[in-house]
Amino acid sequence: MASHRAKWTLYHILVGALALVMLYPIIWMLMSSFKESRTIFATANQLFPQSWHFENYTTGWAGVGGYSFGMYIFNSLKIVVLSTVGVALSSSLIAFGFARLNFFGKPFWFAVMMLTLMLPADVVLVPQYIIYAKLEWLNSIKPIVVPQFFGSAFFIFLLIQFIRTIPAELDDAATIDGCGKFRLYSHIILPLIKPALATVAIFSFYWRWEDLLGPVLYLNSPDKYTVSMGLKMFLDSESASNWGAMFAMSIVSLLPVMAVFFIFQKQIVEGISTTGLKG
Amino acid sequence: MKKAAGLITSAALVLSLLSGCGGKNDTASTNAGGDNKASGGDTPVTLRMSWWGSDARNEYTQQVIDLYEKEHTNVKIEVEYAAFDDYWKKLAPQAAANQLPDIMQMDISYISQYANNGQLEDLTSYAGSQINTADVAENVLSTGNVNDKLYGVPVGVNVLGFQYDPSMMEKAGISEIPKDWDWDTYQELAKKAGAAGIYFDSSMAPDIFFHYYLRTKGFSLYNAEGNALGYDDDKLFEDFFGMLVEMIKAKAVPTQDILTQTKGIVEENDIVKGKGIGMWQWSNQYVALQQAVNRPMELAPMPGPDMEKGLYMQPSMYFSIASSSKQKEEAAKFIDFWVNDVEANKLIMGERGVPISSKVKEALTPELSETAKQVFDFVTEMEPLSSPMSPPAPAGSSEVREMLGDYAEQMNFEQITPAEAAAKFRGEANAILANNQ
Amino acid sequence: MRYSPTTSKTKNAPLALNASYSRKKRLRANLTGYAFISPFVIGFLAFTFIPMLVSLYLSFTKYNLFADPVWIGTDNYVKMFTGDANYLNSVKVTFIYVFVGVPLRLAFALAVAMILNSKSRMVGFYRTIYYLPSIIGGSVAVSIMWRNIFSNEGIVNSALNLLGIPNVSWFGNPNASVFMLVTLSVWQFGSSMLIFLAGLKNISQEMYEAASVDGAGAVPKFFKITLPLLSSVVLFNMIMQTIGAFMTFVPAYIISKGEGGPLGGTMLYSLYLFRQAFMFSNMGYASAMAWIMLLFVGVLTGILFKTSKAWVFYESEGGR
Repeated sequence: MASHRAKWTLYHILVGALALVMLYPIIWMLMSSFKESRTIFATANQLFPQSWHFENYTTGWAGVGGYSFGMYIFNSLKIVVLSTVGVALSSSLIAFGFARLNFFGKPFWFAVMMLTLMLPADVVLVPQYIIYAKLEWLNSIKPIVVPQFFGSAFFIFLLIQFIRTIPAELDDAATIDGCGKFRLYSHIILPLIKPALATVAIFSFYWRWEDLLGPVLYLNSPDKYTVSMGLKMFLDSESASNWGAMFAMSIVSLLPVMAVFFIFQKQIVEGISTTGLKG
Repeated sequence: MKKAAGLITSAALVLSLLSGCGGKNDTASTNAGGDNKASGGDTPVTLRMSWWGSDARNEYTQQVIDLYEKEHTNVKIEVEYAAFDDYWKKLAPQAAANQLPDIMQMDISYISQYANNGQLEDLTSYAGSQINTADVAENVLSTGNVNDKLYGVPVGVNVLGFQYDPSMMEKAGISEIPKDWDWDTYQELAKKAGAAGIYFDSSMAPDIFFHYYLRTKGFSLYNAEGNALGYDDDKLFEDFFGMLVEMIKAKAVPTQDILTQTKGIVEENDIVKGKGIGMWQWSNQYVALQQAVNRPMELAPMPGPDMEKGLYMQPSMYFSIASSSKQKEEAAKFIDFWVNDVEANKLIMGERGVPISSKVKEALTPELSETAKQVFDFVTEMEPLSSPMSPPAPAGSSEVREMLGDYAEQMNFEQITPAEAAAKFRGEANAILANNQ
Repeated sequence: MRYSPTTSKTKNAPLALNASYSRKKRLRANLTGYAFISPFVIGFLAFTFIPMLVSLYLSFTKYNLFADPVWIGTDNYVKMFTGDANYLNSVKVTFIYVFVGVPLRLAFALAVAMILNSKSRMVGFYRTIYYLPSIIGGSVAVSIMWRNIFSNEGIVNSALNLLGIPNVSWFGNPNASVFMLVTLSVWQFGSSMLIFLAGLKNISQEMYEAASVDGAGAVPKFFKITLPLLSSVVLFNMIMQTIGAFMTFVPAYIISKGEGGPLGGTMLYSLYLFRQAFMFSNMGYASAMAWIMLLFVGVLTGILFKTSKAWVFYESEGGR
């Protein structure tokens, strides 16, 4: 018993120490958010502020150009939630098709899907922009959100890999029961890949949250701007940048992402064990 | 089954709702009124305007627009803004898709590219009619010329100089910067500071200051046609960059690794950290630098000989009108308001560079902050000592500029001698410029 | 790339007695298959296919984004490999970044995932902490922080000094500077860790219990149970991290302020491509660069898939 406890203590010491190393840069960021804007760089090597400047949070929250940071958060949330719901639904559907069904041309479409991941976005950006302009989608969140409803190669592939770890006997059993393919997908497979779906949700949420290029390209009116744009606008190379506010709002903008992570990681923890099915 | 079907239906619903928003989307400016030729008092007009810049700029620009909309009730101006690098990322596809804003803030390094490719409206005929230029000096207005056509109205002017902290200089044992200093004096003072363990400056932006140096010798970085370099003697290159390398060796300038690390962020500069005396840069950056340094500072002119030949007033930025705009007259009227309206400029307060209208400048002077006044005075003092600007950098210049920066870095790291760099730079730069014709 | 995620069950389906019946069945199977993947097919055709074709065409032209493209044949491709030292440098830097960074990141992610796949109450908390670095990703705050950590007086050099190693000039030495990016990518191992965790959760605890009864130790358990059952996820992470690493742009952009310095030391392929496309307005050249990237990464991925047949274990196919 004693050795067991010693083992756990050692575990916590090791894991905790490594966590501290991992965390140091974030603590640095947090501390910087309380420093006076001017002194952040001069005192970069001192962790703690000489005096605590909480007003970084109030000026930061007041935002840029008369729009509060709260509005940026709201705008980002709108994009992120829609995108995440869209991408999780469509990607799981597509992944099921690739992982469980046989049809003509499957290897071809799989290869095409993988290829879309390998072409740098910079070179398709202008033609894509023109397509969205023709659709009159500019200055709306549509060019950012709608494509997510058609699946994302990263998530499709991720889900394919997870579905393929599920024994095929389950399908057979379900099919014999007279269960359609869609029912197989929605009732058997979906519940089984919950941990993977939670992973998709966490990633999608964060990736849309930090995405800068999409909003920069497609959102024109300042009342549509997102958190990632707002953070960047605190800084300007030609005039005095409000570094304190930038750090403060960087910290604030971490909170929703952390919350989402914390909620969904539980799904990963519980995983398959609680569904009562044995792999 | 029901659950999943429900999810999909709701997804479809979300999609249809989304497209429902489309109706009030504003590509409006292009649709708003194609035939606004006789832009009378009450035809509703919607303009799009875009710029880059700081928080403060976003705020007062909106106030200026509000002021304009109050006076012109039929005009509505929709704004777009972003950080500098994002701004150009946004503008390029807009140009390709024919979606440029009616009024856009233009930078000197991009204006010829946009102008030469037919994206910008020639404003020559607007100057003097919709845009009152009576109080603007000819050699200031002409800085917006590309191939003798006016593609941008300069919004404010800048001038190069040395911005420094006199108290730090004193610490280094230098009493003052002599009035007509030249490069020899500069090196002497800088070495003195270096010997005292204080950095004199943080080196010079290669393209800008080499260009200035060339001008003092009667040349320029690019030739008038913009298809080759504007100087023939590589000795000039060797002398100038040799001097910069020398300054690093004398510890008058931080080593290149520190320069790389701190470049582009004012607050990271050694002068802010109390380890340096000053910085070589444009006058409009002075206010920010002084704020970051938070000690009394001063401006000194560029070193000579022949400063008058080298010095020029450069527009901090332009306002240009898209050639695809359907509301060019209305857009021009707003630019006129920006340039000439005193009330508007009391909001702007020279943040975009010293105003080009002498009347506005005069009206503003009593209201300026101490630091802004220093800039205005410095620019006013330098204006008669300057010569006309060289033409805006040609297409391909951004690549040449980056390459020159790379060579400067290599020279500072002593990986290449100035003589080698000079020859290589000439060959490669000429190839790029010729290729961009 | 020839990868066909077929299920062996259907392959072994008994021959149909009647040809028209089997044709009907096949048609039905095809329709069902396409119904499921239709969102991808439609989205691809609507938003991606034409832009991809356009970029392929542009790669054979001189195109500055504004004027009409001018056909120049394979000049862009020739220039890349014969007349552009900066390009070759960016290839070198990217290779170091990918082939050093990805294995480190994966190993680290797997190790941490296994440590955190335990039943301690603190695990949720630790997991969040280890994931945190990955969610501050590409913000400006990170770039500032990272540059300060690697500055001459920064904590990395202080730590090196403690170990008796002299200061490394991360901003002065182009061979060292790429490791600022490598360490950043290792530090942000959270996404791979999460995928490993999700995969580990799919492994039934009974397997381990059975192995324990047989008296197997931790090491055999890892190689006999964990690794094979995790292999599909390992394949996923390996492929995706490799592709992702080749495409990495943001860290290089923010840490070098878009310049790829010092002396091109942080000039990753995507950053160089971006500079060509949008700073230098050489969109034709950038497109050619993009297609070379696609070709190379495509072949590499294809090879990974091919080898995966030998080591990836799919439960749905009854193993191998």
